[in-house]
Amino acid sequence: MSQSPVMERRSPDTGVGGRGPAEAAFIRIDGARKVFTQRSGGAVPVLDNVDLAIAENEFVSFIGRSGCGKTTLLNMIAGLEDVSAGRIAIAGKVVTGPGQGQGVVFQQHALFPWLTAVDNVAFGFRKSGLAKAERCRRALELLSLVGLDAAAGRYPREMSGGMQQRVSIARALALDPQILLMDEPFGALDELTRIELQQELLRIWEARRKTIVFVTHSISEALTLSDRIVLLASNPGRIKRIFPVDLPRPRLRTDPGFNALYQAIWNELST
Amino acid sequence: MKPLSRLSAASDLTLGLIGAFLAVAAWEISARTGLVDPAIFPSPSLAIRAAAERLTAETVADNLFWSLLRVFSGFLLGALAGAAVGIAAGWYRGFGALARPLIELLRPIPPLAWIPLAIIWFGLGEPSKFFIIFLGAFFPVVTAAYQGMRSIDPMLLKAAQTFGLSGVPLLLRVAVPAAAPDLATGVRIGWGLSFGVLVAAELIAADRGLGYMIINERNTGGSVGVIVVGILLIGALNLITDAAIGAAIKRWIGRWHGA
Amino acid sequence: MTRKLVQALPPLAAFTVLLLLWEAGVRYGFLKPYQFPPVSRIARGFVELSTTGFPTGVSIWSHALTTILRVLQGYGAALALAIPLGLVIGALPVVDKLTAPLIVFCRSVATLSLLPLVIVWFGAGELTKVFLIGYGCFWVMLSNVIAGVRYVDPTLVRAARTFGLKGLELYRSVVLPAALPRIFAGARMALGVGFMVIVGAEMIGTIQGLGALIMEARTFYRSEITIIGMLVIGLIGFAISAGLMALERAMLPWAGDLDRVRR
Ligand SMILES: Nc1ncnc2c1ncn2[C@@H]1O[C@H](COP(=O)(O)OP(=O)(O)OP(=O)(O)O)[C@@H](O)[C@H]1O
Ligand SMILES: [Mg+2]
Repeated sequence: MSQSPVMERRSPDTGVGGRGPAEAAFIRIDGARKVFTQRSGGAVPVLDNVDLAIAENEFVSFIGRSGCGKTTLLNMIAGLEDVSAGRIAIAGKVVTGPGQGQGVVFQQHALFPWLTAVDNVAFGFRKSGLAKAERCRRALELLSLVGLDAAAGRYPREMSGGMQQRVSIARALALDPQILLMDEPFGALDELTRIELQQELLRIWEARRKTIVFVTHSISEALTLSDRIVLLASNPGRIKRIFPVDLPRPRLRTDPGFNALYQAIWNELST
Repeated sequence: MKPLSRLSAASDLTLGLIGAFLAVAAWEISARTGLVDPAIFPSPSLAIRAAAERLTAETVADNLFWSLLRVFSGFLLGALAGAAVGIAAGWYRGFGALARPLIELLRPIPPLAWIPLAIIWFGLGEPSKFFIIFLGAFFPVVTAAYQGMRSIDPMLLKAAQTFGLSGVPLLLRVAVPAAAPDLATGVRIGWGLSFGVLVAAELIAADRGLGYMIINERNTGGSVGVIVVGILLIGALNLITDAAIGAAIKRWIGRWHGA
Repeated sequence: MTRKLVQALPPLAAFTVLLLLWEAGVRYGFLKPYQFPPVSRIARGFVELSTTGFPTGVSIWSHALTTILRVLQGYGAALALAIPLGLVIGALPVVDKLTAPLIVFCRSVATLSLLPLVIVWFGAGELTKVFLIGYGCFWVMLSNVIAGVRYVDPTLVRAARTFGLKGLELYRSVVLPAALPRIFAGARMALGVGFMVIVGAEMIGTIQGLGALIMEARTFYRSEITIIGMLVIGLIGFAISAGLMALERAMLPWAGDLDRVRR
């Protein structure tokens, strides 16, 4: 368990730029900017000149103050938001829209209110060509993975926020995407469920070899999960610093290395 | 919990029935004691007796049939056309830019104001009545459908896009269901308007139907009782059909959309 | 601003083309001028209507004024009765339950179906029209006021309770403001009903008012006057409802888009 294929692949000198030749980057963000035009016509610069290279099978977390542009950056990788300047490429292909292998867990869940939990998850199998019964069976499987077998027949409005969030995770997994973009996916969960799902996510990541970009507000969650933590500064959003996390998994909060990094990130965030 | 709420619902109904009974009783008594002149506003019992004397079940059924046929056909096509145009105008930008100004220009004109033009275009027969009932349903539905389309949570569309949906499937599978609650509101308003338009059209220019039945009674100097019964009959018909449409909408979207 | 202008260009061009085609269609005999009076004829009709009038002596302005006054009388009376009554009924659950089916039924009665009865009561004059408008507006307004008061968000009420508010004070400082958006929405719906009713009511037994104008014009084969009358009716309805909306925004700046209030 401790020596997964993913672990072996990683070299000790991982870091920005230090990641070897540019071709090795799976997701490549070059000088990306985002400017929102408001209804009144004014322009709001939200992201300024973001450069980032994410390797295949890497687990990267974004952390930063509320409103600094994490969701915007994630949506741009997902192809759901245009890039105002610069470019974003996946496996050498410039992102022009969704459906290039990116699965998204949205911050606001974005469940279809007219579909039950199981139908929402089954929606993820739409393009799979599976028969209806098979889709339903697999959707139920995914629901039980997030601990929701009992709520399969419920509509979103009949579920709590945390339950909706778990359905949303299951739905993104149904797509079995190469890249999982997760926007505060465990934000509304109790501590116990959160830790269970973190472990489940790591298991899926290692077993299915996915590239994960993960937004969180919790430093310890980022430390528990990621290979690298990208710290964003606000106004306009930009990368302030990148912390490689070279700690063996499973990571323990009692580990002195864990604590030292926690402190370092905390200091950087609060200045 | 369940039996309790059912109990309170039952007591609500009882109270309502008591209220309705009191109102009818007050009406009956004030007519009997001469508080209002029975010749111009007869008591319920007198009105029913007069109606039973002057109307056969056959005439009522025949007029009822024509009214229902008109209102259903006009409403159905009007609502369908309104939904199609509103959804298309909300989804396809170019079409919306063309259709919206025209709709906005014509929308404030009450459907009844179309009666003379309808007669000019289609003559005095059924098509002109169909046309204005059609309009009565069309405008509320087209407006609601458009508004519903414009207020779809963009996240839902984005979420669907990540699963590879686009174009017409995205429209039909995600956008239309998301707009359905607004559409339903429009359908309900459209029904009420179609019904009101129907009665007016039958009063103004028709030779059968419930509206014709009561205006004819007055023009031939018949009994006020018949008019009163006709008004109540039309009201009850409106109430029942509206409730039926409400129930159908509830079955359609109530499960996921709440009350 | 310029972008908006550019966006408005293609539809504008489309309409101009449409009107030109229409004009040409009449000129070359594809469309009957009686059924589809061309723009030029409508324009001439408008000049006639605003100077000599139709029937002679009654200009479009005086028709419009008559209609507006009728609507405002009925509408004003309905609001003056329905708002206080609704506020009381809404505050007393038992009364609300007693009256609910009655109100629903009275609201379902098609207003214009009352016309034969009301003519028996008041003759075919002014009072009949005002009464019908009043009837239609009253029930719409009443049910909206009651619903506005009854269905105030319970968490708001609970929050106010934690500050020790109760009784009349709770009603005045929380329930009433929270009900205002719905009450305004009801006022706008009622106005729509009023305009609908007046047009129908004016089609019978009068030659004054826009509803009478469009009907009379048809019997004299003056379809262009019918169309002008329709447009004026639409314009007045639009202007009044825009005015109400502006009033609403000024009085309730905290409320969101009231078109989105579920009915
Ligand atoms: N459509 C939009 N139009 C204008 N500004 C926007 C729009 N969407 C986001 N913004 C602005 O962009 C900035 C970044 O928003 P974003 O949602 O990416 O923040 P975030 O880092 O995800 O915040 P949080 O942690 O609270 O989720 C914010 O200041 C926000 O106000
Ligand atoms: Mg965010």
